[in-house]
Amino acid sequence: MAKAKDALLDPLFNNNPIALQILGICSALAVTNKLSTALTMTIAVTLVTGFSNASISAIRNHIPNSIRIIVQMTVIATLVIIIDQMLKAYAYEMSKALSVYVGLIITNCIVMGRAEAYAMKNPVYESFMDGIGNGLGYGIILLAVGFVRELFGSGKIFGLTILNPVNNGGWYQTNGLMLLAPSAFFLIGFIIWGLRTWKPELQE
Amino acid sequence: MSNDSTLKTFLVAFLLCIVCSVLVCMAAIVRIDREGYNKQLEIRKTVLAAAGFQQQIDDGDDIDELFTNNVELKLVDLANGDYTTAVDAATYDQKEAVNNPALSEAIPADLDVAGIGTRAKYAAIYVTKDGDFILPIRGAGMWGPMYGYISVGSDCKTVKGFTFYQHAETPGLGAEVDNPRWKAQWTGKELLNDSGDLALKIVKNGSFDPNAADANNTIDGLAGATVTGNKVQGIISYWFGEHGFKKFLANQKAKRG
Repeated sequence: MAKAKDALLDPLFNNNPIALQILGICSALAVTNKLSTALTMTIAVTLVTGFSNASISAIRNHIPNSIRIIVQMTVIATLVIIIDQMLKAYAYEMSKALSVYVGLIITNCIVMGRAEAYAMKNPVYESFMDGIGNGLGYGIILLAVGFVRELFGSGKIFGLTILNPVNNGGWYQTNGLMLLAPSAFFLIGFIIWGLRTWKPELQE
Repeated sequence: MSNDSTLKTFLVAFLLCIVCSVLVCMAAIVRIDREGYNKQLEIRKTVLAAAGFQQQIDDGDDIDELFTNNVELKLVDLANGDYTTAVDAATYDQKEAVNNPALSEAIPADLDVAGIGTRAKYAAIYVTKDGDFILPIRGAGMWGPMYGYISVGSDCKTVKGFTFYQHAETPGLGAEVDNPRWKAQWTGKELLNDSGDLALKIVKNGSFDPNAADANNTIDGLAGATVTGNKVQGIISYWFGEHGFKKFLANQKAKRG
């Protein structure tokens, strides 16, 4: 059980997929200009990594070595399509906001990386926890970046106005850079810097 | 049986494909069930918002009921500007028609200020009880196509409402076309002049002067979204030019005296 706990908690800070493994940057730039999209993306990725790890781990002893990547890919793609279709059916507005990025979870290196590196060698429960942990590790960074970008870019938190922007007759001059993808690069850079100062053992 | 034998490889691949495709199919069936409803609801919301029912939508009134009670679907033949019954209005899909050579025509490059290439021959418009027209507009935006509705008052020249229901503009900059405060600016502006030509123009943010002589047909652009402003201007210019609704509005005006 200790192993499962480590698998869940390690990716949050000690082995964070974005801040340490530098995976999944593309979607972290694209969906973080609002917290609501960042949160939906976090939930989607966490579910996909969790269940793809669990299902791949369940059949790991039967996967022929020669086609293992394809098998992992098929399982991941199936889960992503199911989530994408469910969003389209029951959260149509949200699926429009996330556009192609839900589909692109298939190519998110975190999912594939965990399947290949962890689920292929570990039992189902630990693999599931590892997947959830990595999804949440990805999500923590997404939400942190989304928080800063939405607050300073639109003056809002989850769509609720905190700093009343000039556009709506308020006082806050919104920061346009925060709304564009490059700002996420800077923020992720600062997060990586902060994390490695806090935990010097992470430095390479 | 060894994991790496040819037989096992085929067997695993085959079973995996069967299981995964069944799961994907089930998800797709659920989505298809809801998709038509979601899309229709969205278009109805936009039409109602353009027609000035935003308050009722925000109050959570039943969209379908509001829609059937207040607006009527009609088809306009854009070539002569009259109503047409050449195709069945209820099943006509203007977005699909653009891809159908029999129902669409190419736009000469010099007239194509909206950047759309082809347009459907017939436009599906909505008419409210008060005689306002809710007209579909579309065109190229900064990052992708923009689709929306503009509502023209029964005098055939004043804007009653304006809204996009699909676009891919930059959030916080061009996507502020969705900002209710910006859209509110459009209401009451003079879209066409007395001779039926386009009068409305979008100026760069900040250069709008409410006391100027042309203030009634000028829209203050969005800050940081000059390109989006120009694209929207192009869309308006196209759809209220010779190729768009100009003839239709002129005909309606003549009928109404």
